[in-house]
Amino acid sequence: MLDRRIQELESGSLARIRSARSPDDLEAIRVELFGRRDGAFTLIGKEMGRLKPDERRRIGLLLNAAKRNLEEALDLKKRQFADAELSARLDAEWIDLTLPAPGPRRGHLHPMTQIQRELEELFVSLGFTVLDGPEVETEYHNFDALNIPATHPARDAQDTFWLENGLLLRTHTSPVQVRGMEKLGPPLRMIAPGRAFRNETVDASHEHTFYQLEGMMVDRDVSVAHLLYFMRTLLAAIFKREVEVRLRPGYFPFVEPGFELDIRCVICGGTGCAVCKQNGWVELLPCGLVHPNVLSMSGIDPEQWNGFAFGLGLTRLAMMRHAIDDIRLLQGNDLRFLEQF
Amino acid sequence: MKFSYNWIREFVEGLNCAPSALEKLITMKTAECERIELAGALLDRACAARIEAVEPIDNSVNVKAVVDAGRYGRKTVVSGAPNCRAGLITVYVPVAKKKIHGVESDGMLASGFELGINRDHSGLLEVDLQEGTALAGCVPDSIIEIDNKSITHRPDLWGHLGMAREVAAILGDRLRDPVRMDLLPRGAPAIKVQIEDFDRCPRYSALVCENVTVRPAPLWLQYRLSAIGLNPINNIVDVTNYVMSELAQPMHAFDADLLQGDTIFIRPANPAERFRALNEQEYTLDPSNLVIADAAGPIALGGVIGGLDSAISGKTRRVVLESANFLGSSVRKTSAAIKLRTDASMRFEKAQDPANTVRGISRAIELLRELSPGIRIVGGVADQKRDIPARPPIDLPLDWLERKLGRAVDPAEVRRILERLAFGVVESRPQVFSVSVPSWRATKDISIKDDLVEEVGRMVGYDSVVPQAPLVPSAVPHDNRERRFQHQARQIFADQGFTEVYNYSFLSEDVVRVFGLDPATHVRVTNPIAVDQALLRASLVPGLWTNIAENRKHRDAFRLFEIGFEIHKRAEGLPDEIPHLAATLYDRHGDGVDALFEAKRAAECLLPGARACPAEARPFEHPARAADVTWRGETVGRLFELHPSLVGTGRAVVLDVDLRSIERLATFETKYTPIRRYPSSAFDLSVIADLREPAGQLEATIASLAGPLTESIHFVRNYTGPPLAVAQKSVTFRLTVGSPERTLSSDEVGEIRERIIQGLRQLGYQLRV
Repeated sequence: MLDRRIQELESGSLARIRSARSPDDLEAIRVELFGRRDGAFTLIGKEMGRLKPDERRRIGLLLNAAKRNLEEALDLKKRQFADAELSARLDAEWIDLTLPAPGPRRGHLHPMTQIQRELEELFVSLGFTVLDGPEVETEYHNFDALNIPATHPARDAQDTFWLENGLLLRTHTSPVQVRGMEKLGPPLRMIAPGRAFRNETVDASHEHTFYQLEGMMVDRDVSVAHLLYFMRTLLAAIFKREVEVRLRPGYFPFVEPGFELDIRCVICGGTGCAVCKQNGWVELLPCGLVHPNVLSMSGIDPEQWNGFAFGLGLTRLAMMRHAIDDIRLLQGNDLRFLEQF
Repeated sequence: MKFSYNWIREFVEGLNCAPSALEKLITMKTAECERIELAGALLDRACAARIEAVEPIDNSVNVKAVVDAGRYGRKTVVSGAPNCRAGLITVYVPVAKKKIHGVESDGMLASGFELGINRDHSGLLEVDLQEGTALAGCVPDSIIEIDNKSITHRPDLWGHLGMAREVAAILGDRLRDPVRMDLLPRGAPAIKVQIEDFDRCPRYSALVCENVTVRPAPLWLQYRLSAIGLNPINNIVDVTNYVMSELAQPMHAFDADLLQGDTIFIRPANPAERFRALNEQEYTLDPSNLVIADAAGPIALGGVIGGLDSAISGKTRRVVLESANFLGSSVRKTSAAIKLRTDASMRFEKAQDPANTVRGISRAIELLRELSPGIRIVGGVADQKRDIPARPPIDLPLDWLERKLGRAVDPAEVRRILERLAFGVVESRPQVFSVSVPSWRATKDISIKDDLVEEVGRMVGYDSVVPQAPLVPSAVPHDNRERRFQHQARQIFADQGFTEVYNYSFLSEDVVRVFGLDPATHVRVTNPIAVDQALLRASLVPGLWTNIAENRKHRDAFRLFEIGFEIHKRAEGLPDEIPHLAATLYDRHGDGVDALFEAKRAAECLLPGARACPAEARPFEHPARAADVTWRGETVGRLFELHPSLVGTGRAVVLDVDLRSIERLATFETKYTPIRRYPSSAFDLSVIADLREPAGQLEATIASLAGPLTESIHFVRNYTGPPLAVAQKSVTFRLTVGSPERTLSSDEVGEIRERIIQGLRQLGYQLRV
């Protein structure tokens, strides 16, 4: 008798559980089955007291198996409801991720800052110290100590902004060579990036304020071959590829011998184009071996020490890198320009 | 400086190198060539032609001319020249036929200007030649232009012979010297020379010539000068310019009959002495200027320009030729003072060779005999000079040379290179050359062995030097903390939405005044590029202010920052340059409040724990929105809204911090404190205060009352409104208290709280509890 009831209860209840529509339905079924007072299983359990021990054991086993099955079914269904409910709730949280993030957009570093920082890191990795010097300089540091006395015609090439008290705005970053030698003494490896000034009328290719990176190495027996090595290493890092360089004579009073360093045009590869004026080479930086007068004026014995120095035009480099055709843009501070970097 | 290829070729025997190839060699070994231009292109096929007949053309100023053009035959050409008349012998050029005013013109008749011979374009060139003959000495030429900057140190390269010497050395050709010293006359000079300042004029040579005919120089010479950019004037002046262009020795010719007395004085100008120069300008001189004078006064400004009153003219019959040497720095100073650079001053300021004066005279004699037939030289050369001590030879150790260049050069090659450049080479000791320097390189250019490295290096070619890594110890470079910190700051501000600007270091007086500052406290540029760029910036804020004005034309809201130096005037020595970071937030529709707090947040990103302390506003600041930024107990900057009347539409907020003091206060070492093991307790306090009492001040008061067990005090909220009075607010703080050694009991926490409340009440505050 009970066998049958248990079987029917199990199969009937399983079907009801499967077709339950809501967690409430499910809870009602659970109470019907397992309610402590008048749940179906509670009632059957009560009836079992009347059975013989053997029969009771057998029915008990049947009852427990059915109970287990139904509990499992209830749990399963409950989980299904929970899963469905979670899915629905999360689905309702749909959001449009193509909308812009609130708050300000990231700002932009000036292209000159970017190139300067890159070069500083590069030189530091080669053992160079980064030095700063003042923008307002003495005539001594800007000219005399660089072997350019007041009567030297080379001063004509550097239209100078003069200030009161005979001071001036530095016409190049080279005075930091002098300050570097005074501060560090030999041996030394240093660079000095910074602002320089020339009293020139501003147009698309001339600026009165521009940026240079001065470099210097002083050690024992520094040669033209060493200078070439550093320049090639440097330029390969800047242009991210091997570049062909050449030195030709150039005159700068603070170096002897002095050079103009040209690179094989990176635009046309040397076949000739507008950038290299059909020449295949682009003049990039002046350099040379430090003039012994410059060393001795800064208290370094030129018989013991020598070195090389170079001046890299950062403004020019930034223009080349980004194909900027008007130098005024760099200090025009127009967001429509700056936001491109 | 322009060089004629044909002229160079006169001195380089067997020159067999095309101009374009030569230009490259010169660039690689001597000086930078800027360009090559073709001169006298039409001369290739030009010839003399006789105009046989001229007919007018209807409705045209031009005429139709029939010419006998010798080998080209009879041609009909159209000409607009006023001197196109029958019988004239001029120059015909067979250019392509074209129709002019209905007449077919078969070729052209040319002016001196069109041919490139001189600057005369007023009419056809009149020549005295047989029809059909070419113009002797006038053929197309290549003009090589050298960058003047690259020959600043080379006095000899300001003449063709010097460049020819380089070319001969580069190519291994022989150099021919055009100077014949045997032409110098001997005997007593017909004029006296008296140098009063041998420092400024180490040598002065002069020669008198008579029976001179002044007339145009022959076409070949006019063409030479025109091709290199000089203006032909007359045979006498052109000879002096020719010698200058050839030998780099500037010369001058005076009309001897216009000189007073029999002596030429070279002396400092008298104070306020006046001088009329060839350019028809009158100059007032002072003793820093060296003049050439006769008994009556200055006749030339030494090394710069001749005088108008003694100039060569059509009436000149006797001339005094001057060939002198002047101190470069003195010429440069005078030329700069009177703002007059001439072909002569440009050369003298490079320190010319005193040995060259008499060479110039002998070359001029040769040319004048050709150009002014019948000329007679009177007496010998007047030649006053100071003894110029010969420079001792320079020792050049060959192993040192190798170490400098970074490559070995065969001693025989070193010798060959130097000797080709006219150095004297003696092997004084084994492996040491004793090198004597030619006079034209010894004035300034070459004095030490390093200078010889360049001579050898450029001639062997720097491309033969193999790049080589130096053998030096690896060393960690000195740290530049300031710069590293600045780069960090840049990144922080960019990440916070600020875009970096680079403003000029110059400000105008007007802008300075707008910001309520005194122009007198600024460093002043004595030669500004424009009046609005006369002061150096003592603040970065005015720059940002102008950036706002420009950028708001295109943007409604933006953030900018700059790192740069404030330059502050000091009584003595260099000004104080203080690195600053200035940042601004502009919003056309904002009320300034959000921007102020955004700026404050940016300040805190840079300076964790920074505080804003209300401060009195400066004239360009919003009177109720200005604060000092303090960090680690010091004022390091300023946070404020720009005065709205300075901004106009919209609001702009500025943060300005002194990076030097920040860098000084920054410590880069952090010491660890153990993480607390015992739970802490928190409670809120709401203090009623005046509406304008700064929360920061309340917080500080609470902190002073709270005692050592306080972990933190955080601002929670401000409240205004009922039941508070209108001028009041309630500020709520959350206090967290605890001990590193134990858990505080509720009684202990209560005690702390009570202490604070009592303390605040004693100070007159009410609390909402």
